[in-house]
Order: sequence, then structure tokens, then C-alpha cells
Amino acid sequence: MIEIFNPKALDPNKDYGTPPSLSENLVTLEIDGVNITVPEGTSVMRAAALADINIPKLCASDNLESFGSCRLCAVEIEGRRGYPASCTTPVESGMQVSTQTDKVAKLRRNIMELYISDHPLDCLTCPSNGDCELQDMAGAVGLREVRYGFDGNNHLDACKDESNPYFTYDPSKCIVCNRCVRACEEVQGTFALTVDGRGFDSRIAAGQNEDFLDSDCVSCGACVQACPTSTLIEKNVIDQGQPEHSVVTTCAYCGVGCAFKAEMKGDQVIRMVPYKGGEANMGHSCVKGRFAFGYATHKDRITEPKIRESIDQPWRIVSWEEAITFAAERLKGVQEKYGRESVGGITSSRCTNEETYLVQKLIRAGFGNNNTDTCARVCHSPTGYGLKVTLGESAGTQTFESVLQSDVIMVVGANPTDAHPVFGSLLRKRLRQGAKLIVADPRQIDLLKTPHLSEAIHLPLRPGTNVALINAMAHTVITEGLEDQAFIAERCNDSSYATWREFIRGEENSPEKMSQVTGVAAEDIRRAARMYAGEHNGAIYYGLGVTEHSQGSTMVMGIANLALATGNIGRDGVGVNPLRGQNNVQGSCDMGSFPHDLPGYQHISDDQARSRFEAEWGVTLDHEPGLRIPNMFDAAIAGRFKGMYVQGEDIAQSDPNTQHVEAALRSLECLVVQDIFLNETAKFAHVLLPGSTFLEKDGTFTNAERRINRVRKVMAPLGGKQDWEVTMMLSNALGYPMNYNHPSEIMDEIARLTPTFTGVSYEKLEQQGSIQWPCNEMFPDGTPIMHTEDFPIGRGEFALTPYLATEERASRRFPLLLTTGRILSQYNVGAQTRRTDNQVWHDEDVLEVHPSDAETRGIQHGDWLGISSRVGHTVMRAVISERMQPGVVYTTFHHPHSGANVVTTDNSDWATNCPEYKVTAVQVEKVSQPSQWQQNFVDFRDQQKALLKQAREDGMR
Amino acid sequence: MITNELDRLIQMANHIAAHNDFHGDTTQAAAATASHLRKFWARAMKESIIRYVAEDGTALSPAARLAIQQLDNPQPHTPETR
Repeated sequence: MIEIFNPKALDPNKDYGTPPSLSENLVTLEIDGVNITVPEGTSVMRAAALADINIPKLCASDNLESFGSCRLCAVEIEGRRGYPASCTTPVESGMQVSTQTDKVAKLRRNIMELYISDHPLDCLTCPSNGDCELQDMAGAVGLREVRYGFDGNNHLDACKDESNPYFTYDPSKCIVCNRCVRACEEVQGTFALTVDGRGFDSRIAAGQNEDFLDSDCVSCGACVQACPTSTLIEKNVIDQGQPEHSVVTTCAYCGVGCAFKAEMKGDQVIRMVPYKGGEANMGHSCVKGRFAFGYATHKDRITEPKIRESIDQPWRIVSWEEAITFAAERLKGVQEKYGRESVGGITSSRCTNEETYLVQKLIRAGFGNNNTDTCARVCHSPTGYGLKVTLGESAGTQTFESVLQSDVIMVVGANPTDAHPVFGSLLRKRLRQGAKLIVADPRQIDLLKTPHLSEAIHLPLRPGTNVALINAMAHTVITEGLEDQAFIAERCNDSSYATWREFIRGEENSPEKMSQVTGVAAEDIRRAARMYAGEHNGAIYYGLGVTEHSQGSTMVMGIANLALATGNIGRDGVGVNPLRGQNNVQGSCDMGSFPHDLPGYQHISDDQARSRFEAEWGVTLDHEPGLRIPNMFDAAIAGRFKGMYVQGEDIAQSDPNTQHVEAALRSLECLVVQDIFLNETAKFAHVLLPGSTFLEKDGTFTNAERRINRVRKVMAPLGGKQDWEVTMMLSNALGYPMNYNHPSEIMDEIARLTPTFTGVSYEKLEQQGSIQWPCNEMFPDGTPIMHTEDFPIGRGEFALTPYLATEERASRRFPLLLTTGRILSQYNVGAQTRRTDNQVWHDEDVLEVHPSDAETRGIQHGDWLGISSRVGHTVMRAVISERMQPGVVYTTFHHPHSGANVVTTDNSDWATNCPEYKVTAVQVEKVSQPSQWQQNFVDFRDQQKALLKQAREDGMR
Repeated sequence: MITNELDRLIQMANHIAAHNDFHGDTTQAAAATASHLRKFWARAMKESIIRYVAEDGTALSPAARLAIQQLDNPQPHTPETR
């Protein structure tokens, strides 16, 4: 007898027809004489598939609810009349099912015959040839003739829609199985597709019968994935044919960390298909991971090492050996002249754990100082600080899947449908099932427009007033007696709770008082607090709208306080969840990128921890923390910091107050940049080393749920070396030997030194697919949900979180508050996505202005606007939008030329120096030409491009 | 806008002290601030701010000044191969 209970033990490459049932009650039935036991609620089709009895099907797919429209899966059931569809028939105890009888065979052939009578017979030249379910089913049912002929009414001349840059819609091949429509609804949650017309006229339509590109379609690819024919198919497959092998790897865009099958022809990626076995994405994808991988082979890729004496000189193309020797000698020279602490480096949150680990090791052991930092400094460093203080570990508490158990979901300063789209879809799924939603955000984000949303509260607070809002919510919880006293007594520190309780009860934290600060009505804050505390499972998800403030760390602690006070920690459906921006932000923090933390958040001043590293690394380490990124810039301008090694991070574009950053970079005597493109930072470099994309290397990324995922090499590095090999070369040239043959050896070293990683190995990753740390003796298979029994610090700590306004305030000179964010199609500084067809959705950054602010300034949609802050001036085009409150303007920072960070200030979080990107006081006015910075930008860019081009031409001669 | 490194350190120290305000209890605020500086500031930053307090210190808030007075001058480090 076959017994299948655990859906995770299944073959991710097989389609079982309908989704798994999670029931714990088991039912035994007989299918074609085989006894099988499955959870109650399982369909007959799925039960059969589990026993490898594969019933023909067209409209069924195991990521969609059963639909029962194609009737191809008809079976016979003992004692029942007719031919029930096996996809919509649930199993029953003792049921006897026959899947292959003469009667159903005839029925299935008749159905196929009808389908094929209105389908082109161009199989040999069809792009789906070899990967077509319709073709497979015609074969499976033994279709041999079409008695109706092909002359009747048909759809064979229907027009193709090729508007989407990545896929084509060819309605002539459509069998109207509805899978794409259901995928758009159930998987993606966008509801962009529908079946238009009735009966014979039924056709799939995007939006109001528009082109795909003009409709609400977000190009996630779920419909293409779902289509059983070549109706919706990747243009790459049309152009290049079917892939011949595939490799499972991890997406290198956002912190969701989706698993993909890189489907290949030789060393060419034909398409990226979301992998059902990936536990972060469970077979879903977004427009970036699914389609925007073309940058990897873009002509702008840096493929040869280059050096130059100064940044106004042309590059010289040299061998790897010469470039590395040049870099090592310069760095050594700087240290001899200016001291050991005059150099440092930046690890990349885009590179692998192993690469990040090596860079910080090179800095600590090779440079002999702790001047290492990472781009998490400018995004989630307050998360590291705030969660460590309150919960004892610098990481989110849940799996993504946990959200499916949440009853109320609070989203603060995050925009998941744009920035973490695959998690956004999961969240929307739960909202459609009835979970309540609280959004605290100055902007009306798309989550609030979720179709079939039940109860939702939007708290449109003024930028910079998060702490006031969260304190007011906690005040309501405590003064209205909504706290979870049992949880607090059992799990939290009594004295910190008592002190915090006294503080939060204070009248200064009441919603009434705080509404003057936040601009949110007191009653709305109270309603939100009651909603969050009143449901069984309350989960908080937050993003950079929480951290990128002068009180970012305070807000993270405020969120943790609220979760602790309401007992929303330590089980499925609850928790405190930072949504990480980059693919490996979590990992780069875990790997000891911060100047004060050794890998695994072990403080550099901890003698015991440090001595373990000293023993393994064979050097003594500095016990004092090093410089953070902004401190490095200040020290550079002061003339004490002269050399930098930057791996895969574009500080010149992504860090605030661009002119200050540029001045710092210009003052360096040795800047070594390792990147896949000539990014903004590389324009100030003396050594430019080719970086490798995620497709060109082995390693691991750690996503926002602490999940360590494997990255697998599918093509050779264009520059000849994987990033970790380059760091190794540089270290060896500097006289600190490193000898690894494979990243797995680096991971073994990490496991030896990091108490939360002791159980992690590549072998275990192969077995389990992925591992959520902590993974050690206590948690041998990893830890999906944290803090279930206790906290790493024993009991949960309540932190005092007084609200202190930022110094960045609106004034008469700068009366508006600028806040920044992201858009779905572009990623971060855009270096990757700007080099793909994602440009069709967003080819410039614009400034969103409220109609009332626009009116008083005479601004029309599309006008050029000058944006001035205390530190800089830039120019962008206006878009009139009511998504923000009056007084707030909004933009994105995906294009370097827009200079969004020319205006952002160097205000920063008090605890971590995370920049206050989210609040800048500005004035906006109509202008007729680009800003001085932009004109200089263009001049400098053109100069650097010319120098690069000259180097390439010199190289060819 | 601050361009001078020392001014920035003063601003940062004041900022840390302000966010660790225990209802105006300077002693507690100074202890929390000192602990923060010990844990997160680089050697050169500590040295600069300690020197500043020894020479002047007037731009610092009372809690920040008290905190820095509690800091020891960081020990130098000579890396050696083990």
C-alpha cells in the first residue's frame, strides 16, 4: 500500500494535478487495483498521481485549484453513475476507481478530437514542440483522426499579441483551459486576465481586452508557466528552441530568494523557470527573476582586469596577475604611508555568503583592521541592532509560508507587491482568504488595492513619525488591557517590561497626543492597535520605510515591543519580519560584514569568540570595531582613509548625499572595484576587476527568512574567475595566504566558527534543498520559526523607545518632505535591470506630487521639476499622484542620472548610521534644464565611458 | 550640513545620548551611551572624541560628555601571525 502524507517529500518536477490537502485525517481508496492512503480532501486525480497513475488532464495543475473544465480526466467510480472528473472529485474511504476503461478512453478521444478541430496542426514548427501538454495528451489518448475537418468556424487566424517584451500571446493556439486566468488570480493575485466572450467566442483577454503591455499584467510569468500549449510562451524559446538541460539555482534579485531552474542550451540560458521545490517561492516568480537575466551577457559586462594611475587617465587592460599585483602593492603602499587603519573594504550583499565571508576575512586578517562594512549599512543595519537587543538575534522570526496562518497582517514601510513581489503574492493570497490588513505608510501602496481584500486600515503617517505611531499603538494595547499577560509573564524579562510599561502608558504616547505628530487620526491608531492585538495571530512585516530613518533602530525595537506585548512571537502566523532588499543582505550580515561583528554576530571585543577566529585564521585580530561606510567617507575626506576594496556594491549611486560620497572617493589613492559593470563607483577606481554574476559561480545566498539556498554555476565566468577566487588572489598577493578549492570548503570553515551554522554543509544543502539557520546540535535540520521555546538571550527584552523627531524638518525654504521607494520592474540602482527589457516599464525616475502641491506651484503632469534640499539639487519629471498626503513627494532611485541621492542628506540612524533616505525636506519648482550636478554627471560619465572604450580599442590592437 | 569629521562625531554622540534618554536621568543615559560607543565606534573615532572632551567638550550634551568621560582610550593593536 502507498501512503503519502508529507507534501514536501514529493517530486518537484512532477505535476500532481491538484494542490495537496493539509488534512490530518487519512483516507484509503483503491485506484486501478492499487490501495493508496492520502489526506482527506485530496482529489482522485492527485491520489492517482501519487501512485504514479497519471490520468490525462489539460485544465488541471497542482498549483491551481481544480476547475473541471476540460473533462479529459474523467474516470469511472464503482457505484457511481457517469464519468466524474477526477480533478474535482475528492477521495472517499473504500472508493474503487478505474482510470483506464474502454468507455473513458473513447470519451477522452472524443474530447481531444474537438480540441484539435480548432487548433493549428503545425506541431513540427511550433515553439512548444517537445514541451506541449496538448500534444502529450493527444498522444496519451491515442487521437488518430479529426472527423470534423478543419473548415468550420475556428480561431486559426487570431492575431498574436507580442507587446510584452518577454512573451507572446497567440490566441490561435489557445484551448481556453483557463489555467492562465486562474494563475493570475490564485498564484499572482493580480486578476489581470479574464475569459472574454461566451461559448465559441471565449478568448483570454488581458485587462479590458488590451495588449498585455497596456493591461494590469505585471509580467510575473505565472500565466506562461501555466499554459499547456504555446499560446503563452517565452520569446526566447520561440527564437532559440527548447532548452536541453536545467540547473536549479537561486535568483539574485530581492531578499525573497526564489529558486529557479535555469533552463539551458549548452552554456546559454534560454529561460528561468520558477522551481516548485524552492520553499521560498513554491513555484512562483516575478518579472525580474523570471525574465530579466539578459544583463548577464550584456555587452557592457567588464570581462578584463584594468588598471590606471589616476582616474583621469585611460584604463590599461592587463592580465589578472598584473592587476592583482598592482592593487596589492598600492594597498600596501597606502598602509605604509598612512597607517594600518587607512584602508578598508565593502562586502557585497549581492555576492554569495562564501564571497562575503572571504572579503571580511581578507580585511580583518589581511589588512589587519576591522574596516569592513556592507550595503546593509544603508538598508537593514537597524534591524540587526534592534532585533538583537529585544529578541536576541539579528534576523526575522518566520518562514514566508507562515503568513498563510496569520489573521491580521501589519505592513510597515514596505511595499511587497513591488519590492518583494513573490512574497507579496503570498500575502495577497492570505488577504483574499480573509486576513485583515493594517498598512502604516505615507503612501497608498498597492497591497491596499488587493482584489477581494476584507478589512483594511491605512495609517498614512507623515514621513519620520514611525516611532510616534508604534508607541501610540503600544500605548493603546497596554492602557486598554489588550496585552498577552501570560506570554509576558512566561517569556519576557519582568523588570524591562515593568519599566517599559510605565514609559508607554505615559500620556505623551497616547494616540491623541501622537496624532498631532503623525497626522493620523487617534481613532484610526486605536482601531489598528485593537485589530492587531485582538486577533489570534498577528504578524508584522516591515521594510526600509522602518529602518531608513534617524530613529530606524528605535522603530525596529518598537515593533518588537508590540509583538512581545501581544504574544505574537514564537509560532506560525505571527512574528517580526524584516523584508530584506537584496538577495543576500541577511547573509552578508550573518557573514561578519559589519565592523563590530565577526560571523554569526559575535562581537569583535568578545575575547573568546575572537580567539577562535585567531586560531583558525592564524593571526591576531584587532579587538576594536572598525569604520562603517559613512565613517569611511568622513575619514577619507579628512585625509586619514586612503584605500578601499569594494566588491559588487555601487556606493556612489546608492549612498546618500552623492556629492559628499564623490568627494570621498576622489580623495582615495587606491580604489579597487570588483563589479560586473562600470558602475558609478568604478568611475573613481584605479583597479577594475571583472565580477561574476550568480549564473557564473557556486555558493549560497541567505534570504529574508534565514534560508540558505544554493547558487549553482551554469556558465563559465565571463572574466575567467568567480568572485571568491579573485579575493583569494588579492589576499595571497597581500601576503595573507588563502587556499580554497571550492566554496564548500569556505562554508565548512564558516560552520566551524559560527555557532548558528555548525550543522550547515553543502552535503546537507543537497539533501534538504535549503536550510534555515540556526542549524546546529540543538536544531539539526534548521529553524523555520524562531524563539518557539525561549530567546537566545533567555527572555524577551522590552526596549524604551522615546519618540525623538528627526532634525530634517519641513521649513519655509524646504516645505515638502521627499520620501523614496522602489518599483516592480527595476531593481535597486538598476545596474542589472536597466540592461534588460524591463526598461519598457520604467525608463526614468519621476517625482510624484500631490495635486494640491502641484496646483500651488503651477505644476502639470510631465513638467520638468527642480528638486532642492539642503545638500543638493536635481531635476526630474512630474507625475501628479494622490498616493501620498499633501506635503509629501515621492520618487525612486533606479537611474543614476536622476540623482535622487544628490538631494538625500547624510542624516542617519542614531544607533547604526543607516541613512535617513526616507525623509528629506525639499522644495520643488518648475525648471527648464537639468541641474548642475546632472550636467557634471553627464560630462564625467561620457569621459569615463570614453576612457573605457579607448582601453578596449587599445586592447584590440 | 556638517563637513568636519569632529563635528560629525559630536553630532553622532549627542544623537545617541538623546535617544537613550531615561526620562532625563543623565547617569543612566551616559552609561547607555558609553556602552554604545564602546561597542560600535572605531578606535580613531573614540580617540578623537575623547581628545575633544579633554580639550573642550562644550558642544556635547551633558549625558554625551559624561559618557565619553567614562571611556578608556582604546588599546593599540599590533597584528601578528600566530
